[in-house]
Amino acid sequence: MSECSLEQLSAAWNALSVGLVPPSALGLAAPRPSTGESVVEAHLKSALEVLHLYDLHSMVEEWFTEVLQMDLQRNIAPEFWNGINQHENAVEEEHCAVLLLDAFRLLVSRLEPYLRSLDILAKWIDTGLLGSSDSQMLRDKVYTMFKAILFFSTSSHFQDMIQQFYSRTFKIYMKQRKRGDGGGGGGSDSSMNENERESDSDERGADEWQCPGCESSRDQCWCLCAMGQFQQLSDIFHRLNLLERICSDAVTTILHKMIEERMEKRCRGEYERSFLGEFQEWIEKVIGWLSKVFLQDGTVPPTTPETSSTLKRWRCHVQRFFYRLYASMRIEELFNIIRDFPESKPAIEDLKFCLERTNQRQQLLTSLKNALETRLLHPGVNTSDIITLYISAIKALRELDPSMVILEVACEPIRKYLRTREDTVRQIVAGLTGDAEGSADLANELSKADPVLENGQESDDDVSEAEDWLPDPVDADPGKSSSKRRSSDIISLLVSIYGSKELFINEYRTLLAERLLHQFNYSSEREIRNVELLKLRFGEAQMHYCEVMLKDMADSRRINSNIRDEEEKLPEEERPPFNVVAVILSSEFWPALKEEKLELPDEIKEVMDMYTKKYEKLKAMRTLNWKHHLGLVVLDVELADRTLSFPVSPVHAAIILHFQNKSTWTLEELSEVLKVPVASLRKKMAFWLQHGVLREDPPGTFTVIEEEQKDRPEKVVLIDSDEEGDSAMASQADQKEEEMQLFWTYIQAMLTNLESLPLERIHTMLKMFVMTGPVVTEIDIQELQSFLQKKVSDHQLVYSGGVYRLPKNSS
Amino acid sequence: MKVRLKCWNGVASWQWVANDDNCGICRMAFNGCCPECKIPGDDCPLVWGHCSHCFHMHCILKWLNSQQVQQHCPMCRQEWKFKE
Repeated sequence: MSECSLEQLSAAWNALSVGLVPPSALGLAAPRPSTGESVVEAHLKSALEVLHLYDLHSMVEEWFTEVLQMDLQRNIAPEFWNGINQHENAVEEEHCAVLLLDAFRLLVSRLEPYLRSLDILAKWIDTGLLGSSDSQMLRDKVYTMFKAILFFSTSSHFQDMIQQFYSRTFKIYMKQRKRGDGGGGGGSDSSMNENERESDSDERGADEWQCPGCESSRDQCWCLCAMGQFQQLSDIFHRLNLLERICSDAVTTILHKMIEERMEKRCRGEYERSFLGEFQEWIEKVIGWLSKVFLQDGTVPPTTPETSSTLKRWRCHVQRFFYRLYASMRIEELFNIIRDFPESKPAIEDLKFCLERTNQRQQLLTSLKNALETRLLHPGVNTSDIITLYISAIKALRELDPSMVILEVACEPIRKYLRTREDTVRQIVAGLTGDAEGSADLANELSKADPVLENGQESDDDVSEAEDWLPDPVDADPGKSSSKRRSSDIISLLVSIYGSKELFINEYRTLLAERLLHQFNYSSEREIRNVELLKLRFGEAQMHYCEVMLKDMADSRRINSNIRDEEEKLPEEERPPFNVVAVILSSEFWPALKEEKLELPDEIKEVMDMYTKKYEKLKAMRTLNWKHHLGLVVLDVELADRTLSFPVSPVHAAIILHFQNKSTWTLEELSEVLKVPVASLRKKMAFWLQHGVLREDPPGTFTVIEEEQKDRPEKVVLIDSDEEGDSAMASQADQKEEEMQLFWTYIQAMLTNLESLPLERIHTMLKMFVMTGPVVTEIDIQELQSFLQKKVSDHQLVYSGGVYRLPKNSS
Repeated sequence: MKVRLKCWNGVASWQWVANDDNCGICRMAFNGCCPECKIPGDDCPLVWGHCSHCFHMHCILKWLNSQQVQQHCPMCRQEWKFKE
């Protein structure tokens, strides 16, 4: 290589290097030039051509990036971060913003020469002067370097500053928009604007002299100034391609926070109107701000596909975030929403809309289950309240998820829990018949009488349109058909808690019997109506017993009036001294009545015998069995100075009748004549003590109070509130015991003949022999197992090797 | 003291005056009804034969109808005659 050419080359390289990068980057002493000193491109180009001659042109690109990297690392980055870190001293927000802007201004001025050179190099690449083919690659490399070296790790302080700045400008922007809307918006969305204004005035009320945007006093408002800074900063970021890197985080955080705050303030606890539309509009405004952030110039509509796709992405993101947050909030409040249903229907609809767009089903299920378990399913809640809430849940969740899978899954704990409560069936039946104090929901539901026929009927025809078919959600129980799940109504859901309707009908029968035997009014239109409605639902056969019971009531009334007519014809002296009317039961069809012994005074028995005689005359070959302890007696007690009138039970009547002939009795004597155990007799005495007819003095001896002693303080005797005598029916447990006894005889016979049997065989055989009988009693395998287990522990049965057998010695 | 009874609402259950609890034919309780019937009592009465056995009327009629030659009481095989 000749001397001359070397010189030429060196001169060209110098020209190029000085032209392309600031001299300080090359370690030259020259001060960094202030921007604007244009380098003559043509001059540089000729230098490049020289390099080209020596085949060194391909090095230029590499050299440029190398220098840029060094400069960034050594000078620019430390300088920039120093500038930023100084701001720790700047406490005032306004000040802070200014300094932030300054730091970035400095940064951009440092990078400006490189950017200019980058443009030149890119142009050269495009025209094929540099050998490499892609100018975009160089650009990407440079911008990546900015990001990598400058913002590889940002201090939290810096992030705070950015965030503070953006949230401030966001606020200001929203205020400006609002004011603009309020003035020009007009009628289209007036209702929403009202809402906005409402909250606006709330805020304004706090401090009349404060600018809502920048929160400093109005005369020092720096809103405009902040917006200017915002514009400049956005431009810088855009120029350096740093927008996404620096502000995505901040913007996301701000948006999330804003949405959260707004939702907290507006929607929490408010279930009676929908918020989706309102938020949709709000989100559109937010998008407006985003376009200001991400588009170089807010005034220019988004034309380039790149920017509009960025916006689209952000809109999508914001909406999704809103749906998720809103759904989370509603899920959290779902228990309350269910409680308030149907008033809370808009909230349910909102939630449904959001759930379709977010993947929060599982969250909903877990959270609802938790809420139910902590708030509902504990001993402190009345069974009737649990049932009421369950009914609400059925209605609300059906709205939310027509496939009823959420209901099925989330409410399983309720059903499980209700199964452990003893009075569940009773409460449900009471609800059905409209006796429950609380809601009339169930009664209404029943009278809607949309009979669900049990078997068959489940044809494919009612799947209306093939196009309407939807698959069941993934968490559905595949064991159940979807149409069955969808069609189940409130009553069938409640009835199915126990798995069998037998139990319900028995309970209903018991309640019905109790009511009939307590009312004695013989007219039972309401009962007849209920029975008819239940018949629609459960079928004729199941309600047959109840029908007979009601017929008994009607028959009794007829018989009573017949007998009364007979008596009227008798001469005065032969008529009975008082009226006896009777409810005459068909014993096979009524639930087991509680047996209690009570010996009535002879005069009563006489009259009853007369009644029986007349009945026997009326109905040949039939007679009556009196249940002495049941009934209702209306009587007057005539004392020396007063007459008291009471409706009482036969026991009470019998007691007081005995006091007619002898005014003092001891408890033992009374117990003797009445054949009532002392303990329960004492409880009954309390009634008369309380009404001031008898007094106990000394203890165990009772005397009539003929004349009221005014001066003596009223002695209050509390009646045992849970008097077991209230119910005329044998308890459920007693009845079950009896049923089990029936099974036991069969089981014994089986085991005698077949020696040993496994549980399943016993169950099948029982099903075959016992459960087909006229009186259908059911036993499921678990029940049977626990029953047999009990027998084993009583040594009445031996269990070994999976089979049951009778113990050897007993046979 | 005097107690004046105004009205005594009693509860009683009716039953057939029969020498058995269950019908010898259908094995159902007399106080219930035969398998064909829904309502006991007047609608499903008992009848007595001369042999003093009794059955649900519907049951014994069915039995008698099924006997081609001579009509016997299903319990004691005596000739069946309704007791008036």
